[in-house]
Amino acid sequence: MTERRRWPLWALRLGGGLALLALWDLGASLSHNLLLPRPGPTLVALAHLVFDPALWRALAISNQALALGFLGAALVGVPLGCVAGHWPRAGRWLDPYVNVLVVLPTPVLPPVIFMLMPPGLWARALVVALFALPIVVQYAETGVRRVDARLRDVARVFGATPLQAWRRVLLPAAAPDLLLGLRLGLSRALEGMVVVELLIMAVGVGQLLQDYQARFESPSMYAVILVLMAESALLARLGRTLEGRRQRLSVAA
Amino acid sequence: MIDVRQCRKVYRADTTREPLVVLDGVDLHVSEGEVVAVLGPSGCGKTTLLRIVAGLASWEGGEVRVGGAPVTGPGRDRAMVFQDFALLPWATVSENIAFGLSLRGASAAERHDAVHRLVGMIGLRGFEDRYPSQLSGGMQQRVGLARALAVEPRVLLLDEPFGSLDSITRRGLQDDLLALHQETGKTVLLVTHSVDEAARLADRIVLLSPRPARVLDVIDTGLPRPRPAHLERDARFAALKDDLWERLKQPSAR
Repeated sequence: MTERRRWPLWALRLGGGLALLALWDLGASLSHNLLLPRPGPTLVALAHLVFDPALWRALAISNQALALGFLGAALVGVPLGCVAGHWPRAGRWLDPYVNVLVVLPTPVLPPVIFMLMPPGLWARALVVALFALPIVVQYAETGVRRVDARLRDVARVFGATPLQAWRRVLLPAAAPDLLLGLRLGLSRALEGMVVVELLIMAVGVGQLLQDYQARFESPSMYAVILVLMAESALLARLGRTLEGRRQRLSVAA
Repeated sequence: MIDVRQCRKVYRADTTREPLVVLDGVDLHVSEGEVVAVLGPSGCGKTTLLRIVAGLASWEGGEVRVGGAPVTGPGRDRAMVFQDFALLPWATVSENIAFGLSLRGASAAERHDAVHRLVGMIGLRGFEDRYPSQLSGGMQQRVGLARALAVEPRVLLLDEPFGSLDSITRRGLQDDLLALHQETGKTVLLVTHSVDEAARLADRIVLLSPRPARVLDVIDTGLPRPRPAHLERDARFAALKDDLWERLKQPSAR
């Protein structure tokens, strides 16, 4: 048999990207829709945008809510999930609340929050947190619940205090699920960040999008979307790197 | 050293089902420095008995004492070796061996000394920084053994320690355990479903009936220590195994 030459991954990715661009171009040229810009002008707008301080100001404003909200979701969600995973009764008590948040169509959240709180950074952060929270809780809960019963026995036999058992056995054993939950939670948080700015409070990137839309500057609007896609790809990449470092340590025995 | 009197254990899974009697008045005595094997069919409650002695499981009736003191939970006088090794997969061989010591707040120097000594004893020098997934089953269980020995317990509790190893590796580890016992004189309580293993390792063998477990017999193996080099060719060893099989075949043993 002849050995087949395999394309390197970067080439395949590049090919996929070019194919998408071609499809986009084809679709835009066929539809004759003025609001659907072709890739060329969009990329030109993108080049202008990245040198525009307005973009970076908008990103800074939006990401404040993202960072604050995600941090909150992690600080509340991880312990909550751990408690629920460790004590089955607590888990059963918590389940319906988490499930409601999971199933709830998320655009419902911002209006409710903004009726309860003054609009501002904290309200936006709260929306972000509520988007991310159920995922973080559920993965932490699953991770802790799935810790091998033998490992719990090991902790007890060798005289671990409850705190030592958490630090030395339960958390490291649950770490893969925990980190996965945080990574998926982060992408949900990003979703929350944009949704709140589009639906309720036009600030940051959301405001930028709406301004361009109102002025029919479709290429610029699409360029902003490309920037958001780049940010989410970057964050996902970062999360995966952190996770991978951890994963290598906890290779399954 | 270990005294179990009329120990009774009942599992109540839920309210709809009949409670399941696992141990029905079990007596067990292990003297200082003795190796006692608890032998019985799978699922007869041997492991439950061991977990009770370890302080990991509760019981309903009777008395359980280790070193004269009633058992109320796990204690520093006991350490356990688990059937499927139960090593921490994210920790190196050294870290696994030192696990119990580090929980007790032992200094880095103490841990290092213990690891150094034990790694030599179990023949894993050079593997200190490996992770369990990089070791064979036999090597992993050696680490499990070293982890238990590191805390210098008075009693070693072994829960079918070699059950998940292939027969060649198992023999090697059994010989290691015999040598180790010769050297340290630790009290050992071993749970096994292997007639051969019980006969090979133990001074006395406690035969348990199927559930609910009762003690059928306590048999003195009468084999010398240290064990003769070619135990298989020893007539006493063969006779002992025959005898054990016969007793396990008795109607009362089913």
